[in-house]
Amino acid sequence: MRVHVLPTERFKTYALSLFIGIPLSESRVTPVALTPFVLRRGTASYPETISFRERLDHLYGAGFGFDLYKRGDYQIVQMRLDIINDRFVSSDESLLKEAIRFLGEALTAPALEDGHFRTRYVEAEKTTVERRIEAIVNDKIRYAAERCVAEMCKDEPYRLLALGRKEDLPGLDAAKLHKQYEEWLGSAVLDLYVSGDTSLAEVVPLVENAFRLPAGSPDRYAPPELRKPRSEPQTVVERLEVGQGKLNMGLRTASTYGDAHYPALLVYNGILGAFPHSKLFINVREKASLAYYASSRLDGHKGLLTIQSGIEIENFERALGIIREQLAAIQAGQISVEEMERTKAMLANQLRELQDSAYERISFDFNNVLSATERTGESLLAEVEAVTPEQVTEAARGVGLDTIYFLRDRKGEG
Amino acid sequence: MTVRNYPKLQETLLVAKLDNGLEVFILPKPGFTKTYATFTTRYGSVDNRFRAAGHEERRVPDGIAHFLEHKMFEEPEGDVFARFASQGASANAFTSFDRTVYLFSATGAVEANVDTLLDFVQNPYFTDENVEKEKGIIVQEINMYRDNADWRVYFGLIEALYRNHPVHIDIAGTPDSVRSITKEMLYDCYRTFYHPSNMTLFIVGGVDADAMLERIKANQARKTFEPAGPIERFFPEESAEVRTPRKEATLPVSLPKCIFGYKEEPGPQSGDAAIRRELTTKLMLDALLGASSPLYQELYDDNLISDSFGHEYNTGPGYAFSAIGGDTRDPDALLAKVGQAFAQAAERGIEEAVFERTRRKRIGAYLRMLNSPEAIAGEYTRYYLKGGDLFKVVELYESMTVGEINERLREHADPSRLAVSIVRGGEGSA
Repeated sequence: MRVHVLPTERFKTYALSLFIGIPLSESRVTPVALTPFVLRRGTASYPETISFRERLDHLYGAGFGFDLYKRGDYQIVQMRLDIINDRFVSSDESLLKEAIRFLGEALTAPALEDGHFRTRYVEAEKTTVERRIEAIVNDKIRYAAERCVAEMCKDEPYRLLALGRKEDLPGLDAAKLHKQYEEWLGSAVLDLYVSGDTSLAEVVPLVENAFRLPAGSPDRYAPPELRKPRSEPQTVVERLEVGQGKLNMGLRTASTYGDAHYPALLVYNGILGAFPHSKLFINVREKASLAYYASSRLDGHKGLLTIQSGIEIENFERALGIIREQLAAIQAGQISVEEMERTKAMLANQLRELQDSAYERISFDFNNVLSATERTGESLLAEVEAVTPEQVTEAARGVGLDTIYFLRDRKGEG
Repeated sequence: MTVRNYPKLQETLLVAKLDNGLEVFILPKPGFTKTYATFTTRYGSVDNRFRAAGHEERRVPDGIAHFLEHKMFEEPEGDVFARFASQGASANAFTSFDRTVYLFSATGAVEANVDTLLDFVQNPYFTDENVEKEKGIIVQEINMYRDNADWRVYFGLIEALYRNHPVHIDIAGTPDSVRSITKEMLYDCYRTFYHPSNMTLFIVGGVDADAMLERIKANQARKTFEPAGPIERFFPEESAEVRTPRKEATLPVSLPKCIFGYKEEPGPQSGDAAIRRELTTKLMLDALLGASSPLYQELYDDNLISDSFGHEYNTGPGYAFSAIGGDTRDPDALLAKVGQAFAQAAERGIEEAVFERTRRKRIGAYLRMLNSPEAIAGEYTRYYLKGGDLFKVVELYESMTVGEINERLREHADPSRLAVSIVRGGEGSA
């Protein structure tokens, strides 16, 4: 496990983030997704969930949680712990030491019975994961986004949800899951970040005592497989009981975070749809009054760009037409001086701002781990400043529309 | 101008009231690269009946405060977002029940961005054409929320609790009420509620407080405002009873969503007593329903709740209610169990040890919140408008007793004032 320390006196807390990544695959996605749900139920020292959570309350309400997501072709589990710096409270223990110990135990010394996870926890968390997967449809904006990506990537592991597959859950029991967990720990790339008023010299010995990890885990992430868009974009229409239509579009980019062309792609996305001054907001919302939201999002690790908007169902063709005009406009080099300036100023602001959030600084640095780059906020900013309109046009020509997804109502259904 | 020091928190706040009545707060955060600013008017969706000094009483269409918020961003020379973008600032705004907040965050050109914030909010520009154009956008915003099951179940609870008080009216209004809004109405509301004496400016981040205050003073000195009298706000009589004990709706959801809560007397409206009541209620709810409570674990083990289960306490001018719930396979079983737990706790009392642990947890959460400029600006202003001081919260927690929490519990959890809102998946839905 690599340990990264970002020393700072800016915050009233220590923030810990642990990234655990393995290649996305059909056979492992569900057990890996289920694992952190089970780990948060109890540890060897705090085997009952109530005692586990009481311990967190006792550590001044330390914020413990985890996320599951996809980065490039990897499935990442991120565990987080945010705890008060002792200087603000009258604590009888070193809170940083206790935090590292707690996180280490949560990952490497879970509550066990008969040499494997507790059955009661595994069964309960199977239900929780199943319900989480089912609940994606409750949020139509997220549902449409997930469905669009799944349609676009239907021949790649990236189609899978980071939460795994519902149909795999019944086949997992406490013993099988525990075996998968051990394999996962032995084969995943592990990075621990600590941000706060501390140093590498202080953190490393604490980590060595707290984490009992098998030796020999890989130390690098492989670059993602870049695919070309379909020669003719596919259109997928899905019907549900909704009032508002959700128009989502999936596009493929020609470069990723690790490439020298990435800053041009960032500027491209800014001009297209990342901001309220972007072409999508101005033309779909402000000029045509078709939508409340119309934006684009760049996934630089996988090489995808997505567009999303909520519209009146009968306005599908019109909205799609306006969005395609914006894509074509940038490819034709229609980029104003103001668009370039505003986009660069906004990107510069984002890159500077992230210094004020411990978790954002950590995530930014972790991008370097994922992509084998050595960018700092300042160096990426300098790269962004140097991007020319010609480079943006070049980046635009490498972005190809692949999938048009429309979630609509059931009226007139044949 | 006064400087307030909070040595335990290692925070220093500069406070000033300008000649035109604007209240200014500046909190320097050494080492921070970003500055975050909010410009807040005491005007939200509940202020739909009012009388400005020297004018007739008015009843305005639902959703007008929110409409006004949208329209402020348009200036004769174009969209304000573009100007903020040129200055590297990310701007936004939102409308709640009792406030409208305009904000930006920036890492450079901070003084110019503060000027832009003050200038655009203090320069209304409404035309028949730009007001008409906005209606399509807002109707899409309303439609987006109508498809949002979490919003629907939450608002369903407020509709079940309140018959007359305008808190039960959707903040954005309805498509019809939005279509009835004219530029004249917007100007009327603007003149009433956007006078500097009804507003506060909060700036937090890597700023020089004195220089910033001078800049703000100079900006305000360039503008003239008619003297403003007090604003009278009228709220209809609201009975202590809930409007309906149960409200159900159908939307495509995977599991029913269920939120219930107790309606109570609005209680003290401002000052330390109001803040104290809010914090004791929240602590009490956390002790009973938080993730480390035996009740939570029991409900989770019985498969009646998921990680979505939560609780909150909401108060404002003339209303106060709790909201408890989340996704559940069986709303009635959940309601019965939680109702029973409240009754039992009211009888036996919350234990001292549970109270202590919960208090410790909440103090920690409060201190963690102080890392976030956005949260500080939002919460400080909210406390201030309620007549309290966000930076005295730790002392307030330290002065609480378990007896006080138990008294709050008995007062709040009156089963005759409980209502529930449920959203279920209909036939043929997901």
